[in-house]
Amino acid sequence: MSETDVHGEAVDWESEDEDSDDSEEQEEGYTSPSQPPSSWNFDKDRHLVYLQMMYELLPHHYQSQEINRLTLAHFIISGLHFLGATDRVDKDVVAKWVLSFQAFPSNRASLKEGEFYGFYGSRSSQFPIDENGDLTHNNSHLASTYCALAILKVIGHDLSTIDSESLLLSMKNLQQDDGSFMPTHTGGETDLRFVYCAAAISDMLGDWSGMDKEKAKNYILNCQSYDGGFGLIPGSESHGGGTYCAIASLRLMGFIGADLLSNDSSSSILDPSLLLNWSLQRQASDGGFQGRTNKRSDTCYAFWIGAVLKLIGGDAFIDKIALRQFLLSCQSKYGGFSKYPGALPDLYHSYYGYTAFSFLEEPGLSPLCPELGLPLLTALGI
Amino acid sequence: MHGRPRKAYKPEEEAASAAKAAKLRALQSQFMSNHHNKIYTKEAVDLSTKLLEINPEAYTAWNYRKLAVEDKLSRIESDPDLIKTILDEELRVVESALSQNFKSYGAWHHRKWVLSKGHSSVGNELQLLNKFQKLDTRNFHAWNYRRFVVELTKRSEQDELKYTDDMIGSDFSNYSAWHNRSVLLSSLLARKADGFLPNKKIPDEYKLVQNAIFTDEDDQSGWFYHLWLLDQTVNVETPLLTSSWPSHGSRISLYAGCSNGSFSKLTTFGSESGYFPLVLNFDQAVGGVSSSTVTIDTELKGNEDLVWEPVSKKNSHVSCVWVARLKYISSEPCFGKEYKVKVKIGNSPGIVSSRGCNFSASYEFVFTAHVHDTVEESSQEGIVSWTDGFDIWDAESKDLNALTTLDRSNAQMDSKWRQEAIAEEIDLFRELPDSKIGKLTLARLLMAKAMISDDAVKGVHYNEILELYKDLMALDSSHYQYYKDVHSVALLRKVTSSTEDLSGHLFRCRNMNNSVCLRLNNLSLSRIASVEKLLFVQMLDLSHNELHSTEGLGGMQLLSCLNLSHNRIRSFSALDSLRHLKQLRVLDVSHNHIGEHSVDTTRYLCSSPLFNSEWTQDEVGRQMPTLVTKYWDAYFVLRDLNLKQLDITGNVIAGDVFSSFVLRVVPKLVWLDGKKLEI
Repeated sequence: MSETDVHGEAVDWESEDEDSDDSEEQEEGYTSPSQPPSSWNFDKDRHLVYLQMMYELLPHHYQSQEINRLTLAHFIISGLHFLGATDRVDKDVVAKWVLSFQAFPSNRASLKEGEFYGFYGSRSSQFPIDENGDLTHNNSHLASTYCALAILKVIGHDLSTIDSESLLLSMKNLQQDDGSFMPTHTGGETDLRFVYCAAAISDMLGDWSGMDKEKAKNYILNCQSYDGGFGLIPGSESHGGGTYCAIASLRLMGFIGADLLSNDSSSSILDPSLLLNWSLQRQASDGGFQGRTNKRSDTCYAFWIGAVLKLIGGDAFIDKIALRQFLLSCQSKYGGFSKYPGALPDLYHSYYGYTAFSFLEEPGLSPLCPELGLPLLTALGI
Repeated sequence: MHGRPRKAYKPEEEAASAAKAAKLRALQSQFMSNHHNKIYTKEAVDLSTKLLEINPEAYTAWNYRKLAVEDKLSRIESDPDLIKTILDEELRVVESALSQNFKSYGAWHHRKWVLSKGHSSVGNELQLLNKFQKLDTRNFHAWNYRRFVVELTKRSEQDELKYTDDMIGSDFSNYSAWHNRSVLLSSLLARKADGFLPNKKIPDEYKLVQNAIFTDEDDQSGWFYHLWLLDQTVNVETPLLTSSWPSHGSRISLYAGCSNGSFSKLTTFGSESGYFPLVLNFDQAVGGVSSSTVTIDTELKGNEDLVWEPVSKKNSHVSCVWVARLKYISSEPCFGKEYKVKVKIGNSPGIVSSRGCNFSASYEFVFTAHVHDTVEESSQEGIVSWTDGFDIWDAESKDLNALTTLDRSNAQMDSKWRQEAIAEEIDLFRELPDSKIGKLTLARLLMAKAMISDDAVKGVHYNEILELYKDLMALDSSHYQYYKDVHSVALLRKVTSSTEDLSGHLFRCRNMNNSVCLRLNNLSLSRIASVEKLLFVQMLDLSHNELHSTEGLGGMQLLSCLNLSHNRIRSFSALDSLRHLKQLRVLDVSHNHIGEHSVDTTRYLCSSPLFNSEWTQDEVGRQMPTLVTKYWDAYFVLRDLNLKQLDITGNVIAGDVFSSFVLRVVPKLVWLDGKKLEI
């Protein structure tokens, strides 16, 4: 099983999106001049070739990511949408495939005590129903659920047709007393990533009955550090991914508006100027964004931090020319983006490279919906 | 140093990797079957170990192991040795998974789960962590886990502080260590641990961070920590009352009738409603201001159950500024009398800052209200002109003193060590050769000094601050707007820092009964500040600045005439804070950028007023849904105002259609764009 295709059975996981520090491919300090960036323009055609290739056949490097197959599919399919190539995806097949991962209680009327019925990340975490029609192991996961809904939304599947009652009702089981969320009911670390997943899921389904917004808000506010950024859990160091999850969730829940910086900051629920300060200082001297102070610039934080700045109305302060230059230095000659300049591309950094270029308003790319991390769909909202 | 990859691939490994994949697939299906059938034999559990050694992210396998452990534990009698053996095996698997992938959320979580079972020896954990943290000093999983272990083992925060000493000592770029230091210190200072009094400890910390800053000026770690220290030095957590209108000891004259054009003295107020605002300004946003936390003692009738409202957005229950409206004209004749009004704040608890700190020191102030029996005729429905007829205000400044001097008695802050610490820092940073961050820090320090020192010395500092920000605007153009904003704040602090400075901006308006007007025009202001010193202002000229929004003006509850012409307002939404100004009659927003940019569509995504049925329920919304839809941002502001005069020319939005819309929304309007309306 060295290679597998998206629709097949197999491998893989990425630790959701936030901790980006996990591309497998590069070597220590690998900035070899033998791999120059493909060009100093956004090379849309090569990116299309790259995603098309991934759509058909995933390289074996992704085998450790099997559990997150839906996530990888989301990167590919939503990525194609950013590139304006939705026609390369067979929507019906994809919708059917994605929906096949949804978990249901054996008896619709009675949800099993404390369980969550969302989407599985892949076949390997999906168990067959036993002879009693019962689901022995239900491993549905909040991040996979976010990715499943994201794919469906992006391919234009009508989300109102999804049977979301048990999903939302059971999502309540994942919320903890402190307001945070567990990713699966069988246990797992609770942190801002899953608060964000829950908020995005509620937003996409247009139904907030599955979470206590007030509790979630309080948890988020407890995660703001003295420097203005947000850590993934209260008391932890500010982190680009954590900060994105915090701000995007608050935005989705309607606690902050696009005018956070320009309006009424005195009664704001968080400290917007410190947040602006911290976020802007994540742009390093090479033009790229780092996830934490004194770390290397990394493609994906162009999105995580860029989107935060966009969401609070501070994106005008970004040095966009320098950011573009940095991103282009991470563009692979094979298409796709790498984490650092000169490294090999991977799906995760490619997708967030596309979102970053969309954020920079690259011509020919779909505009960005920063709070969902997806292309802005015209049918959305209005 | 940074961004350690967890695994490196070499081309020759490719083939081996393919073989491994095939093995993995076989393992996986066997594992799935075990899990499904709840098989927890040694062979089955070993299989999950193998799987996790290959792929530490397989959370399903971690969850299976938890079930397996529970199963084993349920089968043995409470034999501590056996329990320990079982749990130690889990710790071993986690350790080996972590050496495969240091950043595996699942593995770290499993370790926490095992430890929380309570039978394992936690003593080894810190040693293990020290080993891991030497390899990757920034790994945030390790740092989070460290905090978890410390809490579990009740290791002292002092010992942990020493650990950050070591980590910072060996590499002061280690921001994670600085972060942990701030968390530990906050806790130690908050609970006043032995040797951790702020006046002793914070000056020490300045010395520590100076070493880092002056060794490598380009490193952000130290700067952030420095900023945190400055915040600890300047800010007091408990909320304070910074000002009020009327102010303590002041004497105000209240007339019946419209105040438009009748406020020749600063202390005169008139309103056709027969109410005057009582305004409280706090140094930070607070909630819980009510008739039970703020009591009023006065003979003015009809003020028994005051309603306190926060000056903030809808649905927000916190604000820096709170207002109640006191009745001074009642059915009973009470004209020509003086009334004492005593206001007591915080007698009973309930006023709480948004950070959760209580307004603890109760405070009271008294003012006198002179209610006049003459009804000031709203002399004319005359147009207010901003263009000429201004004379320098020549009244004695003691009049002004009473309005702006704040009673500092409630500022219970032991300020000596704070001032000394800041003064030392200032001296140090004046020595630092020119650098952007050095200049910015110096400006911040000077601003902090101004905030906590006496009024007398302020002027000099403000000039230095303004110069520093000007330099920065020139040196660092990519952050121009930020410097511009803080420059505006400093400038307004300077203007309001003394009565001399302030009176230089006060004018008499000859065409309007010698009304007093505060003119802050042509100052290239990009934001508003120091509103707490300007609560008394009724006529304000902010024209020819660079304002994008009116944020902050909502606190100026007496404001009746406002000139915002020739600014950079882009939409009516930016005027949202004006909705709180019940006295506002004259508004000039001519020559701005309203309508130039289509309304930001992201607004529709989060809280579109079009989804909100609110507007369809009112009269205008029903009668002219198309116009309301088109101009919803204008509608939401204008319908809450009681304007008599509006100037909108020189904006893209202006035109016949918009004018007809305005007339419907603001029925009492008399003057539009300089022309009297035929009614």
